[in-house]
Amino acid sequence: MRSLVVLDQLEKSFGRMRAVDRVSLELPPGEIFGFLGANGAGKTTTIRMLCGLTRPDGGRASIAGLDVWAQRSEARKLFGYMPQKFSLYPDLSVLENLRFFAGACRVPAAEAPARIEALIERADLRAKRDALAGSLSGGMKQLLALACALVHEPKLLFLDEPTAGLDPVHRQQMWDLLYELSHGGVAVFVTTHYMDEAERCTQLGFIHRGRLLAQAPPDRLKSSFRAKLLELEVDPVMPALLRLRAESGVLGAALRSGRVRLYAPDPEALLARWTQAWPHADLRLLGHRWAEPDMEDVFTAYSQGYDALLDRA
Amino acid sequence: MSPAAILSVARKECLHIARDWRILLVLLLLPPAFTLMFGYAFEVGAKVGVPTLVADADNSAQSARFLEQAQKNKTFAWRKVTPAEASAADPFQAKVRGILLIPAGWGAKLADGDPQPLQLTLDAGDINTALELEGALRTSLAEFQMNERQLVIDDLPEEVFEMGRKLPVTVRKQFTSLMTPWEVKSKNLYNPDQRFIEFVLPGIIGLILQLLTVTLTACTIVRERESGTYAQLMVTSLGRGEIVVGKMLPYLGLSILMVIVVMAVGGLHFAVKFRGLPWLTVICLLFLLSSLGLGLVISAFCRTQTQAIQVAVFFLMPVFVLSGAFAPLDQLPPAVAAVSELFPLTHFCRAFRIVSMYQAPIAAAAVDLAALLAGIAVCFGGATYLLSARKGD
Repeated sequence: MRSLVVLDQLEKSFGRMRAVDRVSLELPPGEIFGFLGANGAGKTTTIRMLCGLTRPDGGRASIAGLDVWAQRSEARKLFGYMPQKFSLYPDLSVLENLRFFAGACRVPAAEAPARIEALIERADLRAKRDALAGSLSGGMKQLLALACALVHEPKLLFLDEPTAGLDPVHRQQMWDLLYELSHGGVAVFVTTHYMDEAERCTQLGFIHRGRLLAQAPPDRLKSSFRAKLLELEVDPVMPALLRLRAESGVLGAALRSGRVRLYAPDPEALLARWTQAWPHADLRLLGHRWAEPDMEDVFTAYSQGYDALLDRA
Repeated sequence: MSPAAILSVARKECLHIARDWRILLVLLLLPPAFTLMFGYAFEVGAKVGVPTLVADADNSAQSARFLEQAQKNKTFAWRKVTPAEASAADPFQAKVRGILLIPAGWGAKLADGDPQPLQLTLDAGDINTALELEGALRTSLAEFQMNERQLVIDDLPEEVFEMGRKLPVTVRKQFTSLMTPWEVKSKNLYNPDQRFIEFVLPGIIGLILQLLTVTLTACTIVRERESGTYAQLMVTSLGRGEIVVGKMLPYLGLSILMVIVVMAVGGLHFAVKFRGLPWLTVICLLFLLSSLGLGLVISAFCRTQTQAIQVAVFFLMPVFVLSGAFAPLDQLPPAVAAVSELFPLTHFCRAFRIVSMYQAPIAAAAVDLAALLAGIAVCFGGATYLLSARKGD
């Protein structure tokens, strides 16, 4: 299928800091593209460039063939944008916010009321239609923001951390809506740093220090992690974490459910060495087990450059 | 630009205004309150009952007659003290504005052909009152002098009149004329009752328009930027022009309403007459546009509402003093006068007075109208430049 969004060597610097470094990717219609990265990795800058709010320094990006900067006024008719910060009018009611954005996005006056009612229904805001937006809970605010971004029925949605700070119920509600949209053919470009959310996307991109490290479906990314994961039960665990990180043959270590998870190219050799002679007399080795890599491990490996653990084919 | 899009922005802006009842209250109450305040506060009627000390060290028939004459002058509220008290008193401590001392031997010296001055000590902290007291005392003294002259004439022996009759007629007439106080008969044009409200009303209208439009406009865009909604607006199909025009419309409407209220209070309560209404409307609209433009420039320049308010206030302060809204500009030194020509309010007040008070043909205000137009062009051009120079940040 023809890609809706195309990024080609997109670049942006702030002073000497390269916020986005030659990022290329493509997004077909109906996909949910999860854009993963730590704070400051370049997620928001990328989204702002795609929305025509920030001018790219180099490369280009297009939405349905329209350049996101040069043709931004036409491109804007095609997408909805939900920024990271709550950006609706707190002194206007739910209904008034929706009405305003319908007018601002040139929804024909004859269609607007029905569409707004449908959105209120979908976002589960019936009971709050006349409440001021500022009085809504965090979750309802996000649902309203999503409804406002959808009022002109765009084929593409940019969501910048839509679930940050939301309770699990609203998070689920938000994702149900996103699935529904993607089934209807809407492409969703969503940033997050919740790893469990990453697995709900159909496509993932890892961005670290402005560079796109990988782009693939979640399963493919997970299977690209080829090393086994060794978990050690050590007491006390905190000094063990620091000490084991410094061991030769260990790239990194993380704490998971009270155990030390080791990132190492050859964990079997390590285990053999340590069962023979445990080098830390003051730490007690209580046991070990093998773990399946999850999305966080994959992301850690990509962002920390543990190339020995990855199968980058 | 689509009218529907502009209207949706305007409607949203109206909702913001309607939801903020504090601002709304200020907007509705301030203009009439201001007009009433200025109308009464600066009405320069003659001063009455100014507390003044008086001491008579002379105690002659003349001084008694003079004091009797001075009592009739309502400007003063005399309090009699001893000469010693009068020379020791400090006007501020004594809570009086002036101290009059009639020196000893005053009456005798008047009769002796060697008139001595009355001694008046004034609190010149309040310049206006000091000048007025001095003037009022002069008036009383002049009246006293005329009365004294009459007394002398009444008492003249018959021989003097005999001698007078021997003088040539021309000399006699000259003498009679010199003995009569010469007068000025003035005719007041444009503002016959010399009412301050007639002069100051354009200033009040201008002040309110400028104050509210500049600060509100400056805030309206900055507020969106502060709350992050500006980016949200930018990704809609709204053009910059539609946003700006849509935001200006409700404030334009409010300002027009306020002008009408102020003019109604001035016209109905103070009986100020407005002539040349069509041109006054044009002048008001031009001035409104220049104020809106100014607010836009500030909003394009500022990041936060706090900054916007501060910049607006600091800009408006010299404007109020130097624009001629409340006092005529003729007395300004040339360099300061040149600065005052930069303010739209200066041209607004002048043009308004030319049309309404002086009832001159509009050509007399052509320079001011041109200046307002130039101001509008500079402000809107500048705001567009500032806004577009930073798009993308």
